[in-house]
Amino acid sequence: MKNVRIFYTKTGRMKFVSHLDMNRLMTRIIRKSGIPVWYTEGFNCHIYINYAVPLSLGFEGVYEIMDIRLTDDSYSLDKMLERLNAVSVEGIEFLKAAEPVLPTKDIAYAEYELTFDENGFFDDLRSFLSRDSVICLKKDKKGRMKELDIIPKIKKKEFDGKQIHLTLSAGNEGNLNPALILNKFFIEAGREPLFYSVKRLMLFDGEGKEFI
Amino acid sequence: MDEKEFERLLLSVQKPGRYSGGEINSVIKDKTQVDVRFAFCFPDTYEIGMSHLGMKILYSQFNSRDDIWCERVFAPWVDFEEVMRKNNIPLFALESRDSIKDFDFIGFTLQYEMCYTNVLNMLDLAGLPVRSADRQALSPLVVAGGPCCCNAEPLADFVDLFFLGEGEEVDLEVIDLYKEFKKKGGSKQDFLRAAAEIEGVYVPSLYDAEYNEDSTVKAVMPKDGAPKTVKKRIIKDMDTVFYPDKFVVPFIEIVHDRAVQEIFRGCIRGCRFCQAGFIYRPVREKSADTINRQARALCDNTGYDEISVSSLSTSDYTELEPLLNKMLCWTEKEHISLALPSLRVDNFSKELLEKINHVRKSGLTFAPEAGTQRLRDVINKNVTEEEIFRTCRTAFEGGYTAVKLYFMLGLPTETDEDLKGIADLGSRIIDLFYSLPDRPKGKAPSVSISVSTFVPKPFTPFEFEPQIDKAEIERRQLYLKQCNTNRKVSISWHDSATSLLEGAFARGDRRLGQVIEKAFKKGCKFDSWNECFKPELWEEAFAECGLSPEFYAGRTRDYTEVNPWDHLDYGVTKKFLIAENERAHKAQTTPNCREKCAGCGAACYGEGVCFEKR
Repeated sequence: MKNVRIFYTKTGRMKFVSHLDMNRLMTRIIRKSGIPVWYTEGFNCHIYINYAVPLSLGFEGVYEIMDIRLTDDSYSLDKMLERLNAVSVEGIEFLKAAEPVLPTKDIAYAEYELTFDENGFFDDLRSFLSRDSVICLKKDKKGRMKELDIIPKIKKKEFDGKQIHLTLSAGNEGNLNPALILNKFFIEAGREPLFYSVKRLMLFDGEGKEFI
Repeated sequence: MDEKEFERLLLSVQKPGRYSGGEINSVIKDKTQVDVRFAFCFPDTYEIGMSHLGMKILYSQFNSRDDIWCERVFAPWVDFEEVMRKNNIPLFALESRDSIKDFDFIGFTLQYEMCYTNVLNMLDLAGLPVRSADRQALSPLVVAGGPCCCNAEPLADFVDLFFLGEGEEVDLEVIDLYKEFKKKGGSKQDFLRAAAEIEGVYVPSLYDAEYNEDSTVKAVMPKDGAPKTVKKRIIKDMDTVFYPDKFVVPFIEIVHDRAVQEIFRGCIRGCRFCQAGFIYRPVREKSADTINRQARALCDNTGYDEISVSSLSTSDYTELEPLLNKMLCWTEKEHISLALPSLRVDNFSKELLEKINHVRKSGLTFAPEAGTQRLRDVINKNVTEEEIFRTCRTAFEGGYTAVKLYFMLGLPTETDEDLKGIADLGSRIIDLFYSLPDRPKGKAPSVSISVSTFVPKPFTPFEFEPQIDKAEIERRQLYLKQCNTNRKVSISWHDSATSLLEGAFARGDRRLGQVIEKAFKKGCKFDSWNECFKPELWEEAFAECGLSPEFYAGRTRDYTEVNPWDHLDYGVTKKFLIAENERAHKAQTTPNCREKCAGCGAACYGEGVCFEKR
């Protein structure tokens, strides 16, 4: 048995597939591909898949990560990728696979690309993000509303044309969704929320290195 | 449609996966390379429509031809409909996102009566006039198939052409005829007249209905050379008929999210309340080898980890043991669970139980349908109390602690005693559990009883029977609830609000078309959904047309009365239905097709169980 980390994309129409539905879809793709994957041995046995950081409904991602286990140690990872891609759907492409280097709990940051139709409000947004503290309300895992300061969770912000690149806290603890920031901004600015598309570009570890 | 704009709109509604398309195995073709574009419409939500086997079969079969591109269309949920209407998005097909207005065929499958307003609403959303007479061009042709076509009269004003019976052959014959007309530039009228000559095709505009003074039907008369009666079509050889080797696999969870393998059509039983048991006659089986091969291909091509065999009564399949042995050979190895729905209590064995236990233990469900032996005899269920107890005993000894039972309320001749019998039966099954030395330890037993309301349907021996009214349904439900004193027995029922309407449409005539149109214009849609059903609007619509649902549903029909569907022939004769109705009132049962032929008339097709050696 060996652990395998698979990097894939979730783009185009796939953005409409929620995380829960994504799990079902992945299971079916893996089953169709016929790769020698490990099943859990519980009461309700299923394919073991561990997703590094779930992606929100409506977002695209080009550095998505899932860990699976292969029962055949000698099975070629190139062959595995080939078979997965052969039965995959448009929008999910399996890019590379390797043995995991870091545990997924080491994921600390994620970089998002937000694309707008206009950028007239970027100056306002820039000064909003330069404040010392912006308190948002966020539901915690138990469903209680909690206050959260988003400013310390923004590691990097870059404005470029009609796009914004944000590097935000990510992972099991303290994950920050870019939509939370933008919602807060639009409310404070008293503006109609604008439509924008979101793409997650990269995941980083605590030292700011690409997560592998 | 602008892709970005479309995305923005999709992200503003619930479950965008209903409308996004692009699922595994969905078929994309070059529209310039096909002759016929077919919009296969299911008049309900994506989750329900995508669970329907008939649509999967015909979708794959049509698309197996290079000259046809068949696409799927579902009724948008109310939130997306609002967005569509506000943004002038016409109803589109999922594969191409093209408006279906310019398609050659718009085909609806009519699985239940309460979807009728959705049919009109979908035509309207497509930007088409709902009435057939107002669509004068050859295309798009609005066609419909499915069980409700056995009395399609309430939709006669809206649908150009109905397919009676099984569609695999007749649909393609009509499409081929259409191709000729399209090529030579023929008119819609001429096309419909020519199509009416194909067996299994019913063109309602070629028939005039006349009524008696008491409002009953006097006659439905053919004109322009249309046949006097239209006979349903069936597939003769189940082993060679088309069956898909792949299903479109949805992203979002649907009602039946699994591979489905058909094993036979029809049912030998002849339960007198069951429309499917009569209109799908005669029974025709697939061979175990065919089933096993097709099931395997489906699992391989979809990635599903669950497969269910499909028929009206699984345990009546003649080769069930060998079939299960064949299938279990590979399902277990590939972590696929095998589901066996529609089991009967009278031929449920320990061996069968062990087979379904192999992969995953799901609940056990049986349908005694009525609470006393007398009433079970009236409906010809042919299940004895002893058999019910034996089955429950087998289940309990096999480790099950929960049993689910289906019953019907409002059956002809039903008394309070029959209702009390339902509660008593549940309670006695609990007693049985505790009397067994081999019962599973450490877990309390439970019996869940689900009660639906009986609605008389055409082409059944109960087509002559009155349906009980809403007040009486509610009284009986309350009474049944009071009868149950056992806390381990739970009783639940479906809402009775739509039963009367369902009954009226099931046995209605074509005058109901104006009621449906009025109700649709008042905003009725998704009538089978509690949150959308608006009974007060329906009452208004009926009143404005001077009609009442009670006239259609609540009246005893004389054997000599002309029914609105009498010009449609489903093999089963009215003479047989009358004889069965008389036997029901004498609480006499009729043996099943394999025991003894009851002479229903379905033998006219020259196939199936009618010609098996007994």
